[in-house]
Amino acid sequence: MLAETSSSPAPTAAISKPADWSPEQETALLLDLCEAQMEAAMRDSDQSVDMLVRAFTDLVEASRAMSEMASKMPPAHDGMTAGELNRRAEMVSKQINDAIVAFQFYDKLTQRLGHVRHSLTTLALFVCNRTQTQQRDHWHKLLTSLRRLYRTQEERVVFDLVAEGATADAVRAAVSHDENKHSEASSVELF
Amino acid sequence: MPGVILAVDDSASMRQMVRYTLENAGYEVVQANDGVEALDYAKGSGVDLVLTDVNMPNMDGITLCKELRGLSHYKGVPILMLTTESASDTKSRGKQAGATGWIVKPFNPEQLLATIAKVL
Repeated sequence: MLAETSSSPAPTAAISKPADWSPEQETALLLDLCEAQMEAAMRDSDQSVDMLVRAFTDLVEASRAMSEMASKMPPAHDGMTAGELNRRAEMVSKQINDAIVAFQFYDKLTQRLGHVRHSLTTLALFVCNRTQTQQRDHWHKLLTSLRRLYRTQEERVVFDLVAEGATADAVRAAVSHDENKHSEASSVELF
Repeated sequence: MPGVILAVDDSASMRQMVRYTLENAGYEVVQANDGVEALDYAKGSGVDLVLTDVNMPNMDGITLCKELRGLSHYKGVPILMLTTESASDTKSRGKQAGATGWIVKPFNPEQLLATIAKVL
């Protein structure tokens, strides 16, 4: 009786493991969890960005209409000259161009996260196959197939550094340097 | 004289940004979600230029480019790829498919318009 009351129950998982339990299955489960969390976060942000794009489009239309009105105005109107209105309209137009570049980074982010999600799913399937995980060449094939997934320059920089065994700090430093180098949009090549 | 541009991208926000930029410069913009939709449109109508993403569901931009070059009325139409991809092997596939040029996202509106003006 005394022994029963003084001993605390052991965690359930430690008492009984299901017949199909394995560290590989647990790893796959955690990878799937990461993938599911990313998908949920992306879905939420997609909705917000859609709203933002709609609002931006309305603002752009309003700005365009105001510019047209300003161009038709007589030289002076209620103390504000048409020239001043046009100057402000030009400033708005420049800010719109900057916003167009900024919006595209969300599109790029979505693509990059999509690649990471695909990598997590692929890895979850891979680790469940013990025959594969025991052979080094299968890991090499996995790495090669995942590299093909990463098609932007930024992704490849990170991938190659990690594959070559760079430390997390070295990767961060390289990415920061690369971002500074490529912060200006965009590159054009005519064939 | 601005013309008609077929803009193809599976991202709604990207299509909006492209549409605004082109319409603001006086172009008429026809939009498509992917290569299949764009090709369906192209079979029945001509445009002055095609601006397409590369990675899209159903039909990617490089396949679309090849298919368009197979249509007699699209042989001489400039096709610009607008994509996040910058890998040289993918660019090379685009060139072989008949693309006129390659623009890496994010695009700068003024630079995009200057490139379009150059190839039209």
